[in-house]
Amino acid sequence: MKAKITTLVLLFAMVLLGGIGMLLGNTEVSKSERRPMTQWNDLSGSSISTGQFMQTAEDAAMDQFPLRDMFRSIKASFLYNILGQKDNNGVYIHNGNAGRLDYPLDETSVKNAINKINAIQKTYLTGNATKVYYCVIPDKNYYMATELGYPTLDYDKMMDTLAQNLNMENISIFHLLDESCYYRTDPHWDQSKILPVAEYLTQEMGQTFSLKGATLQDGGTLTGAYLGQSAMPLEPDALQYWAGGTLASWKARDLTNMRPIQVYDFQGLAGDDPYDFFLGGANPLQVIENPNASTNRELVIFRDSFGSSIAPLFSGTYRKVTLVDTRYVHSSRLANYVRFTNQDVLFLYSALILNESSALQ
Amino acid sequence: MLFSSLIFLYLFIPALLLVYFLMPKKGRNLVLLLFSLFFYAWGEPKYLANILISITVGYASGLIIGKLEKKPVRLIATVISSVVILGFLAYFKYADFAISLWNGALGAEVPFLRLALPIGISFYTFQILSYVIDVYRGNTEVQKNPIDFGAYVVLFPQLIAGPIVRYVDVVAELKERKCTLELAFSGAQRFIIGLGKKIIFANQLGVLVDSYTNTAEPTVLFAWLAALAYMLQIYLDFSGYSDMAIGLGRIFGFKFPENFNHPYLSVTLTEFWRRWHMSLGSWFRDYVYIPLGGNRVKTGRWLLNIVIVWAATGLWHGAGWNFILWGLFFGALLIVEKLWCHKFFERNRWVGHIYVLVAVLLSFVLFRFNSLEEAVADFKIMFGASGAAFTGTETMYVLRSSLGLLLLSMLACTPISVKIVNVWQNSRFSPILAWLKPLALAAILLLCTAFLVDGSFNPFLYFRF
Repeated sequence: MKAKITTLVLLFAMVLLGGIGMLLGNTEVSKSERRPMTQWNDLSGSSISTGQFMQTAEDAAMDQFPLRDMFRSIKASFLYNILGQKDNNGVYIHNGNAGRLDYPLDETSVKNAINKINAIQKTYLTGNATKVYYCVIPDKNYYMATELGYPTLDYDKMMDTLAQNLNMENISIFHLLDESCYYRTDPHWDQSKILPVAEYLTQEMGQTFSLKGATLQDGGTLTGAYLGQSAMPLEPDALQYWAGGTLASWKARDLTNMRPIQVYDFQGLAGDDPYDFFLGGANPLQVIENPNASTNRELVIFRDSFGSSIAPLFSGTYRKVTLVDTRYVHSSRLANYVRFTNQDVLFLYSALILNESSALQ
Repeated sequence: MLFSSLIFLYLFIPALLLVYFLMPKKGRNLVLLLFSLFFYAWGEPKYLANILISITVGYASGLIIGKLEKKPVRLIATVISSVVILGFLAYFKYADFAISLWNGALGAEVPFLRLALPIGISFYTFQILSYVIDVYRGNTEVQKNPIDFGAYVVLFPQLIAGPIVRYVDVVAELKERKCTLELAFSGAQRFIIGLGKKIIFANQLGVLVDSYTNTAEPTVLFAWLAALAYMLQIYLDFSGYSDMAIGLGRIFGFKFPENFNHPYLSVTLTEFWRRWHMSLGSWFRDYVYIPLGGNRVKTGRWLLNIVIVWAATGLWHGAGWNFILWGLFFGALLIVEKLWCHKFFERNRWVGHIYVLVAVLLSFVLFRFNSLEEAVADFKIMFGASGAAFTGTETMYVLRSSLGLLLLSMLACTPISVKIVNVWQNSRFSPILAWLKPLALAAILLLCTAFLVDGSFNPFLYFRF
């Protein structure tokens, strides 16, 4: 009887404390999940009759439950270690390296991306001495998931579709990368490991790569997106970046307001998405100018977030590197900011963005 | 509101327990009624009026039938009441099916009503109906207290997914019931075990089934894997829910009927349907099969009775040909069993066991889809008639990833854990077990909380009925 009473008291206490903690919760943003949390003051009495009040309350209960991150870790540990599941919410871990399952190939999305690229080429890049290239950045799954026998995108089909429908030279970098070239806790590649990629791209675009005098600097740690998503205890990555030497004289600007920005943004490193360290994160139009570059040539990169970390590496060679992210600016407005003439133009997109290209404008 | 939600576990239950046990016994049915209405309105605010009307019709029907003395008049009143009560169910659940039959037969283009199905309507309708019929039969007295009657109909533990509790089973407890520490402990234990079955196993099996539904690469093996997962999911989901309902009932002093008895151990389908959703089976037996004559009629009429009951059982589960076919599938096999095979399977238990598992697995393929066409398409994949490959990368990934889940789920469908606990309880280690139990229950609750915190909306499968 004593054990039974203890059980009931224990269970009731757990439930009572959990409920009180849940009601008192007022977390605005989850650092680990990088999203705003539903709060109790999001509730509105006018939505009771529609049922939306109840759904918001259920969401708030999940988001404000005390020790949320700990509970998420408990669930992840149970799935991985007891049930032997290979992923938790699509995130898998192999030798301390996290990846996110991404399949199948969305051919409609790839064709949409092709249409957007072709439209830009037709509007801005024809008959003005620009040399145009495209390059697909393989995501981490190409190396990790393939090795493990997990489902991945059909990369061959993606590349064939691009080759058949884009009228520009393809520069393939698949052979230059492997699993170790990406952050363990983030989908992005590690700038300290992609020098050969920058070098190869520069050479294929007809220039001689230069990063004279630049050295690798230590920037502390980078806690990537997968750390929170996996809810597992992963080691944060070591952040290293190229700086100094020929890069010391560079200046970067936001082209929408002409304000100066940092190529390496330490405030961004401390923010919700540490990958914002590179050029301050998401931005439609930026430029890096380096008077000490080895050539006077200009490079325009149509890019996604992967471009933020590789663009600085081109600044040793190109006097001006312009970055365009058409997820945040409509391609019809580019003439207001960029003059396309006699440049190297590189469409540099990750396979992930090509597979989810609806944001490209 | 669902049992498997943080609001229910951490706000609703502690609030109810505090109010209920602080309330004098006279007011406790009112507390249950109000909390149950709140529980229902939380999930379905716009259909609260609907259930209140159903309660009113049931209550008034009982009063009227109870006052009438002549049997033919009582019968007419019962029939009228039953038609009205069933009319709600027919309107919300079967109107569009009837329209589709009408349009199909006559080439008409009557527009569909597209009504959302009030949660639990099939369950509470049958509960009200059982009360009205039992009043007519004289099996129970009329309930004159509207609060007690309302509490019976909307009692939240079994409101949205059963077990179907007959009024005669709880009438004594509505008037006077004991709440003891022993009952509270066994109720809490039963509830938490059910919660674990639902959240830890059934929901994860649901993820596997969804991955098949959403795959761009359906294969033969994946189709069978999904069928197996669904078969396990539906049992663990539904029986888990019943455990929770029975456990909650026990805490408040109610003894609800058992709804499952390890049905996947059966060696004949006859036995299966005595172990699966027992409250529904017994309802159809007592209110449809036996009134039709049961098996105490000529063989031809007996077979017809079986067909009617099983078509109705299928239709109760869903408004579609696939559900009717599902019911008739069992009806046909039960007829074959009763006429020829019953003794063979009882003598050859392993053969019978495999036969039951295969038949049930295939039947749930019919059950799982929204239309007969979709079910047939899936059967084609399963039996290699669609041109799909035998296996693929995604299939092998899902198989490897879910092996542990499938094996543990299969174990959870058997009474092995109960037997281990019983052996331990009768051994010299039983004092240790007495203290391990609270830790185990707390651990299950914590683990379920972990899944809920990380999860999202997770409806029970059976509440769409």
